[in-house]
Amino acid sequence: MAYGLRFIRSAWPVASALALLLLLWQFGAAALDIPTYILPRPAEIFVTAIAKWPLLGDALTVTLIEAVGGFLLGAAIGIVLAVLMILVPPLEALLMPIAVVINAVPSIAFVPLVLLWFGLGMESKIAIGALAVVLVVLLNLLAGLKRPEADAINLMRSFGAGRIGILWRLQLPAAMPGLVTGLRVGLARSTIAVIVAEMMGAYSGIGQVIYQATGQVDYLTVWAAVFVASLGSLALYGVLVAIDRKLVWWR
Amino acid sequence: MPDETTAVATPPHLQLVNVWKRFGEAPKQTVAVRNVDLSIEPGAFVTLIGPSGCGKSTLFSMISGLLPPDSDGSLLLNGKVQQDGALLGKIAFMPQRDLLFPWRTVLDNATLALEVEGMPRRRARAKAEALFPEFGLGGFEQHYPHQLSGGMRQRVALMRTFLFERDLILLDEPFGALDALTRSMMQRWLLDIWAKHRRTVLFITHDIDEAIFLGDKVVVMTARPGTIKCEEAITLPRPRDLGVVTTPEFMAVKKKLLAVVEEESLKTFAAASP
Ligand SMILES: Nc1ncnc2c1ncn2[C@@H]1O[C@H](COP(=O)(O)OP(=O)(O)OP(=O)(O)O)[C@@H](O)[C@H]1O
Ligand SMILES: [Mg+2]
Repeated sequence: MAYGLRFIRSAWPVASALALLLLLWQFGAAALDIPTYILPRPAEIFVTAIAKWPLLGDALTVTLIEAVGGFLLGAAIGIVLAVLMILVPPLEALLMPIAVVINAVPSIAFVPLVLLWFGLGMESKIAIGALAVVLVVLLNLLAGLKRPEADAINLMRSFGAGRIGILWRLQLPAAMPGLVTGLRVGLARSTIAVIVAEMMGAYSGIGQVIYQATGQVDYLTVWAAVFVASLGSLALYGVLVAIDRKLVWWR
Repeated sequence: MPDETTAVATPPHLQLVNVWKRFGEAPKQTVAVRNVDLSIEPGAFVTLIGPSGCGKSTLFSMISGLLPPDSDGSLLLNGKVQQDGALLGKIAFMPQRDLLFPWRTVLDNATLALEVEGMPRRRARAKAEALFPEFGLGGFEQHYPHQLSGGMRQRVALMRTFLFERDLILLDEPFGALDALTRSMMQRWLLDIWAKHRRTVLFITHDIDEAIFLGDKVVVMTARPGTIKCEEAITLPRPRDLGVVTTPEFMAVKKKLLAVVEEESLKTFAAASP
């Protein structure tokens, strides 16, 4: 109950800001006489979104599954890698340069290769989503795990704690804020990477809908797809904020 | 009260024999601790005083097993020589800063050492909860460290140290950051706790009054490289209350120690400003 109340309290500023923006857009565009083919009005987009809901709803489902799947896979790989690097320091020296090189190229650049390897289905999108997430989670978590100072580690050692005990009771909790940052950025990146990948080759998904509608010069559908995708990522973000509160419970 | 003039059959609780610690290599080497010989009897409250940077914390790191002493000397616990790292987990060590974990409640900070030892959480909590009134923290079990005052944080750190039930306790300037009033209260309180739990305590301080008021023995260290300058047995009767600090006996010891400490502090200054 208290939880629902807290959700409403934190969600309403976002909701009202969005409503205000849409109102400004609706009436501002009309007042300025901007032609609707350049900038359609929100009401039109809304009507289109409802009319095309069977298509858009299916596409959104596919995109969300891919984005979340890629996010979870990438986050899991990033977390495991960071923990391994802390437990076995030579691994960090070995893998970090490779990771930095891969990170220097935008993950979108790998889309053609990934489509070649994994095909046009969901697997390729999940792979590209994961690729977009791994490094940001890895780097943020690793920095967090290294945050505890020598004094705190020594305190644990004086109690007789070993490597794992120190990791579990000191380094991991200390790294939670860093991990949360990594997850937030990662989720946004995986959503973007997945949609772009869909535009470059897919059977379904929001990106593919945008691509096809663009080909048919159906800009209202493009806008409707963008709206639906925004709402989808907003919902994902809300879930993530709730998870954040669980991970960094002491603030 | 143990008295070092009488020969005892049991070995000292802790014995340091020719302990050295040097940091770095030959040309830029820092000698932090030099030729320290020290014996501490079981159940004694020994205070250690010396100028800043003379190697007190370094000495504690070695006694708690965190830092191996140089190979010249040795550390003996209950008469047995301890290899490097062998002391880890055997000594209750409270570092200079409280180092409470911000993500743990006061209660869970107090049970940290018990958890590390593998005690089930519920039993550890029950054990700690029983100590809360005695440590003046009743009602604060579920608070987080950032909600506490400096004195309370220090008491939580002390409780964490006491719950790690080891016969030898090392306290590195536990009251250094407290105001004079809180400090004097905490000193009397610590003596009460010590009288009840009867552990051997080694206590670092910068404050001569505190060293005399608490200790069975005051050990004075020289300026860096630190070694033992002198030891002074304190025979003031226990239990001690605020009144002892104005007794002639107290004054006499204080005068003597002040002179020694002053001399060493001046050396530190002279070394710092060539
Ligand atoms: N890891 C280290 N590497 C190099 N030098 C060190 C190291 N640890 C301590 N020292 C040096 O050893 C000396 C003693 O330090 P220590 O912290 O033991 O002093 P202290 O007596 O506890 O001082 P204070 O009263 O200010 O706490 C200092 O000169 C310090 O610079
Ligand atoms: Mg110190």
